[in-house]
Amino acid sequence: MLRSFRKSLPTALTIAFAYVAFSVTALRARAQTSVPGVPPAVETREIVDETGRTLRVPVSIERIVSLAPSLTETIYALGLQDRLVGDTDYCDYPPDALKKAKVGGAVNPNFEKIAALHPDIVLVTKSINRLDTVRALDTLGIPSYATDPHNVDEIISSTEKLATVLGAPDTGKSLGEDMVRRLAVLQTKLKDVQPSRVLFIVWMEPLISIGKDTFIADALHKAGAISIVDSAKDWPQTNLEEVVRLQPEYLVFAASHSESAARDFDVLASRPGWRILEAVHNRRFAVISEAVNRPAPRIVSAIEELARQLHPEAFSDAPPAPARDTAPSSAPTSPPQKPSVAKNVALTFSADEEYACAR
Amino acid sequence: MRPLTFSRMLLRCGVLLLVLFVVVVIALKLGAVQVSLYGLGRDLIRVLLGQTRAISTDYGMIVVDIRLPRILLGIVVGASLSVAGASFQALLRNPLADPYVLGVSSGAAVGAILALIVESHLALSPDLAGLITPLGAFIGAAATIAAVYFLGRRDGQIDSGTLLLGGIITASFLSAVIMFLMSTLAGGNLRGASYWLMGDLSTPQPKSLLYLLGIGFVIAAGAIYTTASDLNLLLAGEKEAMHLGVDVPRVRIVVYLAASVLTGLAVSVSGAIGYVGLLVPHVMRLIFGSDHRMLIPASALGGAIALVIADTLARTVVAPSELPVGAMTAMAGAPLFIYLLRRRLA
Repeated sequence: MLRSFRKSLPTALTIAFAYVAFSVTALRARAQTSVPGVPPAVETREIVDETGRTLRVPVSIERIVSLAPSLTETIYALGLQDRLVGDTDYCDYPPDALKKAKVGGAVNPNFEKIAALHPDIVLVTKSINRLDTVRALDTLGIPSYATDPHNVDEIISSTEKLATVLGAPDTGKSLGEDMVRRLAVLQTKLKDVQPSRVLFIVWMEPLISIGKDTFIADALHKAGAISIVDSAKDWPQTNLEEVVRLQPEYLVFAASHSESAARDFDVLASRPGWRILEAVHNRRFAVISEAVNRPAPRIVSAIEELARQLHPEAFSDAPPAPARDTAPSSAPTSPPQKPSVAKNVALTFSADEEYACAR
Repeated sequence: MRPLTFSRMLLRCGVLLLVLFVVVVIALKLGAVQVSLYGLGRDLIRVLLGQTRAISTDYGMIVVDIRLPRILLGIVVGASLSVAGASFQALLRNPLADPYVLGVSSGAAVGAILALIVESHLALSPDLAGLITPLGAFIGAAATIAAVYFLGRRDGQIDSGTLLLGGIITASFLSAVIMFLMSTLAGGNLRGASYWLMGDLSTPQPKSLLYLLGIGFVIAAGAIYTTASDLNLLLAGEKEAMHLGVDVPRVRIVVYLAASVLTGLAVSVSGAIGYVGLLVPHVMRLIFGSDHRMLIPASALGGAIALVIADTLARTVVAPSELPVGAMTAMAGAPLFIYLLRRRLA
């Protein structure tokens, strides 16, 4: 008898332990029903986000947490930065966003930090944030609003919608109109030019480009360029053989500094086989601001900047034709370039004064 | 080594339980948001007394709704993985065996990734959508368990060698499937899948899952425990065990199924957290000896302790960001294991 008792004791202990765990969980369940997280005094309204989820938020949103760099940029562009109480480790633009309380990465935010900030709304974007994150916020009773733009027009409409949700519809409207106007001006300039065939390089090893359904492909299109990679996947992997077959006129790099793009180009050019490419042989590459990677208002400047590099002839009548032989005045002076390089390589960098005019 | 007596076993389990309790209290206190020990104690007592109204909203939200469920999840997952690891090491008589050696985690990963893909095409209610990844993972794990079971049979019985080889081949085949599926994913789904593969306790899970996990653990671990004496005899070799009156085929089936279910449940909610299931049983064996009547409960408690510590480190070292908990289990576990191993050899 003693032996069987001995045998069953650890099982009994396990069961006892599980019971304690269960009762704590059950009590927690009661705690959730008896203590509402938000005092009932706050008036709420119902909104629908871009993925079709319905959520309930306070009528006046005073505390925002952003879980994507693009959303942080949009909030600044809308002049709502005072209500932004937290953002991610990767929110680096404008530089002031670095000073906000950090809630961790966009993919693995810290829920304790988010809860402690008592946000009225958490902003997420479908292409970056995980579904698990949204669900976890649901479990905690924190409303999350998801954006999901797939092209440049949707970036504009998404910005306007977000502005309305956050209680700044007029700013959103004027920001959106400004973006539309600038793109329209660009389209008239580019209406006679033949679109350049480009290879947009997301990653060099393995060689990854963009698919046709991405907003980056649409941004290239608006800048008078066509991506040679025609894939339904968002981040297709391609290879040199395919690139040689398609012979792009330009290689396009997204970079924070023009020098780093030049270095990337040199790395590619030094690889065996790459010199077969006309674009490499003639050192034809363009640099686009990293803003193109973020579905935020700043993408319009990135588009304009790329268009100027690919189609300088269309901008010849523009008064301050950006000097392509010297460093642009607004950007930090870049080291002197070899003249032979500068002939074909456009190096302009101007997207960073964007937010002065946005307010 | 002195014989295992009932009181010694009780004492050892008691010590481990005490360690677990201390670890849980420390884990509750540490985190991205500061919580005072006094406030924590006061609130814990209130939770236990059912006076949840008195808890301030900050503590209520952060400690009770975020930290405590995560720690409970860590306890159950850690215990499940360690018990499964100890069982597989005994069943396959291979010290390198871990819960994932027979492909359960790969099968679960395939199921989880397929669920991620399918889900975006279905308009599911949020409640259901939260369950689809764990559900897909568990279906994948169960399918793998069944497939490996049939691969591992020889003359109508499970054969350890065939089971091991069949499991390893299945695992590598499924890994190839995972690679392929990963290359078709995009954006948020890709990130979700890669986090899943690294093992992740950071996402608060629905309460119903915690219950299910707890019940599953008690049943499966209980089933394994009933074979503890037989597993001791199996250490001497399968033939020897059979001569000593052990119903070897039955033990094999019970242990294989129960350990696989434990692994499948754990993997479904937390992804493939590595090393806990390999290291903890070895550490427990070095400390307490290889009597499975002691080893199985010790592994359960030790696994819970190890995973709660690892997860606490994972969420505090670079707070407010997080490290993958699998990396922490290996970093904290491997040196401890080497220390114990060398000390025993010395």
